[in-house]
Amino acid sequence: MTKLQVLLSDIKKGWIGYLFIAPGYFAFIDFMLIPIVFAISLSFYKSSFNISAREFVGFSQYVILSKDAVFKTALFNTINYALVIVPSTVFIALVIALLIDPLGPKAQSFFRGAFYIPGVAGGVVLSVVYLWIFNPVYGLLNYVLGLFGIDPILWLAEAPHSFQAVAAVVLTFTIGQPIILILAGLAGISQDIIDAATVDGASDLQKNIYIRLPLLKPVLLFVLATQTIQVFQLWEVIYMVTGGGPYNTSTSLVYLIYQTAFISANYGKASAIGVVLMLIIMVFTVIQLRFWNEKDA
Amino acid sequence: MSDSYQKQDAKRIAMDKAVKVLSFTMLILMATTFLLPMYWMITGSFKLQSVTMAVPPEIFPTQPTLENWQRLFFGPWPIWRWVVNSISVSLLTVVLVLIVSTLTGYGFAKKKFPGSNTLFFFLLSTMFLPSQVMLIPLFLLVRALHLTATIPGTYFAMALPMISSPFGIFLIKQFAASIPDELLDAAKIDGASEWQTFSLIILPLLKPAIAALSIFTFNQAWNYFMWHMVVATDKFQYTIPVGVSYISRTPAVGKMITDIGLTMAGGTFGAFFMIALFIAFQNYFIKGITFGAVKG
Repeated sequence: MTKLQVLLSDIKKGWIGYLFIAPGYFAFIDFMLIPIVFAISLSFYKSSFNISAREFVGFSQYVILSKDAVFKTALFNTINYALVIVPSTVFIALVIALLIDPLGPKAQSFFRGAFYIPGVAGGVVLSVVYLWIFNPVYGLLNYVLGLFGIDPILWLAEAPHSFQAVAAVVLTFTIGQPIILILAGLAGISQDIIDAATVDGASDLQKNIYIRLPLLKPVLLFVLATQTIQVFQLWEVIYMVTGGGPYNTSTSLVYLIYQTAFISANYGKASAIGVVLMLIIMVFTVIQLRFWNEKDA
Repeated sequence: MSDSYQKQDAKRIAMDKAVKVLSFTMLILMATTFLLPMYWMITGSFKLQSVTMAVPPEIFPTQPTLENWQRLFFGPWPIWRWVVNSISVSLLTVVLVLIVSTLTGYGFAKKKFPGSNTLFFFLLSTMFLPSQVMLIPLFLLVRALHLTATIPGTYFAMALPMISSPFGIFLIKQFAASIPDELLDAAKIDGASEWQTFSLIILPLLKPAIAALSIFTFNQAWNYFMWHMVVATDKFQYTIPVGVSYISRTPAVGKMITDIGLTMAGGTFGAFFMIALFIAFQNYFIKGITFGAVKG
């Protein structure tokens, strides 16, 4: 038998396998692959609300983007959000998880729940409360800061503060997942290693830094990767809390996609922004995977 | 000699105790900080508009009122319709994701066929792509097919971007791979058909993974705010997050400012369902998060 014949007979023998994956692959091709390919192709067109009247323009959407000040701000902000939010989330989650870990099972599940509940409630719900909390006149935050002698801050109307406000809200409702993952990682560390360190006279702090932290590396890398991708797609908090303002200082790429596609019906340009975002996330994921493999080896 | 050891030990035990108390206090403080917005929202829903704008803010509501809740329940907002919409969309998404993930995940885990690895990794490689990229084509599809003309069509449209769930397929595949092959061989020898093996043997064994995936998907579908907002064409098609956002933009009666009390009642109402579900099924929520990472 030739190689081709072997392959053909293997395919015939494996027909049941293809049948099982068919529904999944059908959904994947129809509702994911084709839309993505279509979005990429759309980025080479100029199109408005009537999509069938689109006009091929080559790379000009990308050329327009490269000169677009708002796009550049959104790109800069998106990366900046990731640089600010992700490390602080991972660090705070690590500290909280290390504090929760030694507790009994009941207390553990209570605290795990407490930190996860804001995320379950969702970004919209949290945002409406924060809008009130951030109010410069009667908001809770400025009142509390006032107790420490800090002057009222225009959280949502002044340039660096609106960015900080968005970052703070995102942190509060995305911290639950990292805490749960790190706790699962901590639970997987063998008690023998910890006991051995105790016998050798290591303090709690030393045990955390020299034993638990290195063993947590895979979990921390995973958390880092998933959080970064999540923050890259930041949108709803911006929509609810600042509207991207003032003067686009708190906008993000996904918020810009939303505005360009679903408010302005400029599908070509919005798709081009989407492709840029996709490329950033792909490059980032590849770097992460490299890093991951190196650490494993 | 032993005396000094004892002294050291006593010192150490005292230190350990101090560290424990200190870290527990820190934990309580942090939990309070993270839960404060929830507290502020719930108590805010029982405050009059004048109280919500009081300086200094009222930490405990001294004159609680049901006025906001009355306006929420008897106002012009079809809030129960939003609840029905949210539950329907989330349940439909869960059912579709389960059908796709269990069949495909099992197929990839236990069936041998040429190209299975390539097909699987191709699928998996899209797991981290930003979903917003495909929302534009899907939106054009929904519009072209007039899916929002009917209620079931609207629900299907809202579930659409989540149906193909690389995460779900990955999770089920990981889980199904741990089922021993001997079990499948035994079923074959006993004359079970492929479908019988899948439905009577595999599905029951996948239960923990299915439960975790269901809860996880339900929560994600519930909070898929951007897509729901884009798809919904009138307020009867809103889901809860869209409705809460809509209410929060309603100005107070006769004023140009937000109706804070009403918004907080809406937020509390909206958060209630998912939080109740979370408290009831906390373990499944956590499994949904940790399965993919720790097992994978």
